[in-house]
Amino acid sequence: MSTEPALMSLTSVAKAIADKHVSSREVTQSCLDRIARWQPRLNAFMAIEAEGALKAADAADAALAKGIRHGVLHGVPLAHKDMYYEAGKVVTCGSRIRRDFVATTTETALKRLKDAGTIRLGSLQMAEFAYGPTGHNSHYGPVHNPFALDRITGGSSSGSGSAVAARLTFAALGSDTGGSIRMPAHFCGVTGLKTTVGRTSRAGAMPLSQSLDTVGPLARTVGDCAVLLGLMAGADPADPTAISGPLPDYVAATTGSVKGLTIGVPAAFYVDDLDAEVAGVLDATIAVFKREGANVVRVELPDQRQLSAASQLVLAVEAAALHKRWMIERPQDYGPQVLMRLQNGLAIPGVSYLEALRWRGPALAAHLAAVAEVDAVIAPVSPVPAPTIAESDVGNSPDADAVIQRLTRFTRPINYLGLPSLSIPSGFTRAGLPVGMQLIGRSFDEATLLRIGAAFQRATDFHDRVPQLK
Amino acid sequence: MTRPTAKEVKAMADVAGLPVDTDVATRIANSIGPAFDAFAAIAGTLPFDLEPSTFAVVQAEKVAK
Repeated sequence: MSTEPALMSLTSVAKAIADKHVSSREVTQSCLDRIARWQPRLNAFMAIEAEGALKAADAADAALAKGIRHGVLHGVPLAHKDMYYEAGKVVTCGSRIRRDFVATTTETALKRLKDAGTIRLGSLQMAEFAYGPTGHNSHYGPVHNPFALDRITGGSSSGSGSAVAARLTFAALGSDTGGSIRMPAHFCGVTGLKTTVGRTSRAGAMPLSQSLDTVGPLARTVGDCAVLLGLMAGADPADPTAISGPLPDYVAATTGSVKGLTIGVPAAFYVDDLDAEVAGVLDATIAVFKREGANVVRVELPDQRQLSAASQLVLAVEAAALHKRWMIERPQDYGPQVLMRLQNGLAIPGVSYLEALRWRGPALAAHLAAVAEVDAVIAPVSPVPAPTIAESDVGNSPDADAVIQRLTRFTRPINYLGLPSLSIPSGFTRAGLPVGMQLIGRSFDEATLLRIGAAFQRATDFHDRVPQLK
Repeated sequence: MTRPTAKEVKAMADVAGLPVDTDVATRIANSIGPAFDAFAAIAGTLPFDLEPSTFAVVQAEKVAK
């Protein structure tokens, strides 16, 4: 076991606590010690609840001493994006408007993780109302990338990416409406799973776009994501959009190899206009899969620009509709970029919005036909590694659209199709910036992505690199 | 489907109850214009009976390799 428990994976630390090789208090204190050192540099936490976490850790240890283990994550401290309601807790949603909002319910995935024995370390920073891809927040300041403090984390799950990468929490919930799990995972060198629309309940999660929102984990390993998904997923009476039916054994899926599987490489769009080092990482990742026994083929995908456009039409209208009351009553309390983007939704006719929603089924069918011969598609998460905080601090300037569009170019189409996508750390640039690749699967087939991702992590060590505080 | 002009954006924002000035309307028109352009080939071509819920139906279909 590591001398610093916070450096362990979620799966390893849960087992170590269960086997009484380390106490929940020791683990929690280890996380709090790292938070104390890193938080002033990262700004990853919205709230740190040290006293409550240690008290809960002591209770977990006392229960274990009596032979009571509440679940597979008994005594494991976690922190999550500050948009997941927990009854009695302030949930800011990264905003000034909800600075003092106290939730009266607990979000379903969060409740299921608590039922599995996790304890609360605090809450994590995020883009205001989850509407921003960089990690800037005009109310609470930018979150910094642990691998290069002058670089962005990506958003909107900025604190989740930063805190998991710096080993301040073993994992964190994020949300992905246009790339908000995959981009922080890519920029911060952690593993992130965007789930299929309908795989996880969204009851008690702050909404941004009802059609596109998904709940998923960021963690250090694919195996950790598998454990978390197995706990979080499934039907929920509080959210009829969460599908019922038996769940696959996600943890078992991570033991499979890629031998006999076929991975598709897009012939266009996802390989166009890439930063040279991102392109190099894509090639190297493909080489790993070939070496591990996968069959790699080229796939011709439908026009991804149309998917991205449809995604933008749906997101803009749904976000504006959700925020309209506050846009009327409290426009001054929004950050400039978020207000700017919300205003976009006012100018999209209802007919255009509904056309974008009606086309979703045929678009998904066309995609599934195009990938009928492959088990997953591999693509970069973003064309570039993390830009600097300064160069991407564009607010509501004329440059804002270009920055947002470039960063989210490869994530938006997947949100429109509602597909699962697993972002895995796949390499580093010469400057030491992480680069992630996304594995895009079929609807509700997260298990295959976890299988492929875990095989990749057994063959590589990019996910094991720990940023150092200089 | 054509991208809305700044004048049309201003009118739509007024109707939505959130009036914007001319500069903001111009900014919005420029911001959402590319999405309208990219979606133009789809707009106005969808079958009469196509429901948004078709998406859930396609999602639920078992697609085997």
